[in-house]
Amino acid sequence: MTSDGKADKSKGRYEKIKHLGEGQFANVYKAKDTLKNEIVAIKKIKIGSRAEAKDGVNRTALREIKLLQELHHDNIIGLLDVIGHKTNIQLVFDFMETDLEHVVKDDGIILMPGHIKNMTLQMVLGLEYLHLHWILHRDLKPNNLLMNDRGRIKLADFGLARFFGSPNHTYTHQVVTRWYRAPELLLGARYYGTGVDIWAIGCIIAELLLRVAIFRGESDLDQLVKICQVLGTPTDNEWPGMSKLPDYVGVKPMPGMPLKHVFTAAGDDLIQFLASCLAYDPMKRYTCTEALKSAYFIREPYPCEDSELPLPGKRTVAQKRRRDEREDRSPPLMRKRLAF
Amino acid sequence: MAGNFWQSSHCQQWLLDRQDVLRERGNDLKNLSEEDYQKLMVFFANYIQAIGEGLKVRQQVIATATVYFKRFYARKSLKCIDPFLLAPTCVFLASKVEEFGMMSTTKLTGTLANLLKTRYPYAPQEPIRVNQILEAEFFLLEMMDCCLIVYHPYRPLTQFLHDLAHSKEIKDENLSSLAWKICNDSLRTDVSLLYPPYQIALACLHIASVMIGRDLKNWFAELSVDMEKVFEVMQYILSLYRLWKNFDEKEQVPLLLQKIGKPSLGPSLMDVNSCLL
Repeated sequence: MTSDGKADKSKGRYEKIKHLGEGQFANVYKAKDTLKNEIVAIKKIKIGSRAEAKDGVNRTALREIKLLQELHHDNIIGLLDVIGHKTNIQLVFDFMETDLEHVVKDDGIILMPGHIKNMTLQMVLGLEYLHLHWILHRDLKPNNLLMNDRGRIKLADFGLARFFGSPNHTYTHQVVTRWYRAPELLLGARYYGTGVDIWAIGCIIAELLLRVAIFRGESDLDQLVKICQVLGTPTDNEWPGMSKLPDYVGVKPMPGMPLKHVFTAAGDDLIQFLASCLAYDPMKRYTCTEALKSAYFIREPYPCEDSELPLPGKRTVAQKRRRDEREDRSPPLMRKRLAF
Repeated sequence: MAGNFWQSSHCQQWLLDRQDVLRERGNDLKNLSEEDYQKLMVFFANYIQAIGEGLKVRQQVIATATVYFKRFYARKSLKCIDPFLLAPTCVFLASKVEEFGMMSTTKLTGTLANLLKTRYPYAPQEPIRVNQILEAEFFLLEMMDCCLIVYHPYRPLTQFLHDLAHSKEIKDENLSSLAWKICNDSLRTDVSLLYPPYQIALACLHIASVMIGRDLKNWFAELSVDMEKVFEVMQYILSLYRLWKNFDEKEQVPLLLQKIGKPSLGPSLMDVNSCLL
């Protein structure tokens, strides 16, 4: 439907290879585009209940179609085609080898500072493009950050994304997977901005460093407590307006801990970068453009090449060597856990 | 709608060439004169407006729906899908794209039946069924190449009015509201298919300024825009007003509908597919 005109209509352009996974709204398959001889990913939207079928083309799918049709950036997933018949719709995307969740969870992967800097850079570049187009992603998390076999990272899953900046719109605060949800959302803010995505980026970088999610709340309230345990309970001074948010609850004052102690392997510029992503007051948080100008990206070590990024199960020669060395000696301190 | 117009699908794929539009329309113009065609487009834009008002949607939804309607028939003949089916389909899709809460299809078909009976007794009264709308929605999506985000002249108009207020200290409620109304009316012409929204906004502003006798010559002179284009848009809008003045819907629409012949109402899949290909 999108690009190649009539040829798309021919049946059987895409040959299913295997089922990749199932999400809330869709099943994803790996498939071959026989016309271009390329591997693609096909997202098949679930039809859902009879009541939903009456709503026509699924809203989540429609949101992805409408936004991705306007967005063209190397760090944003490409929508290649839309296929289907009647109300059953399927989206064809760039095929991506893996996602950052798999990278984080793979014990065999060691993430070097250069790797993390490269990944952060790619994420922030994609997000900057999005924000410059007045779009909030609203669901950034490691498994929505996809990576292909060339080490290119792309933001995906735009089912919750929306335009922002319209003053007469209120937005739902029930967005973003809990562990990556910014404090203003946890307190029920109905007006929010790019800060919610930046907070999530901060959480994701933290996760790349710690190899486990930094704030693992078991409920929305617990999420807030988990945040305060690390960052300290915010004061009115630190975050003016906090107590006026609709669902404001006071968390008992906690001192928090210096980020330097949480991320022992991180340099000062990265600590400062993280602190600016995880500032309580959304107004004091980085914008993507500020983030890109930070000392972290200017100083050494420079980001590695995309091709040097490790892929789960498929390591580059250089990494394999490093791994062998590691097995000889005592395990390095890269894999840390936060003890609360 | 926010975003970047210059990189948008609207700018890159949906600013059409006037000659192409006329050529595509050739099939319909075998049975209809150019003026007949324009009258039908005015009628259906009004019809979309009435549906939108019946459902209490925002003007943004109505404007987007009207552009969808025009985009579809810019590529396809009126015989392809009954415009009485496509009009509500456009409103339905636009309400989702513009994030206008949930619109129940039952409410939509109910509103339609009521509207046809009370305000359009001269239109075909066959009820529109929900599954017809759902099928038509899919064809609409396909025919528009999934380009769903439409940029309207309202935002640039607001910016121009803001600039006028600041640079020339011209702040005139009458001027603003009249220009806004002309923007609404411009949806009844082809301009949304042919010109970028800022040129349409300027044309509306220009017409409004002339109508209320506000001299904006100096302000316009300082703009670095192609005034030729703005004048072209004005011509479209002015000829719309000439046409509209002598257009009695009740009297003329039934005749016009007869002229296009009987389009396929229920897109039985086979029919529409052959027509869409």
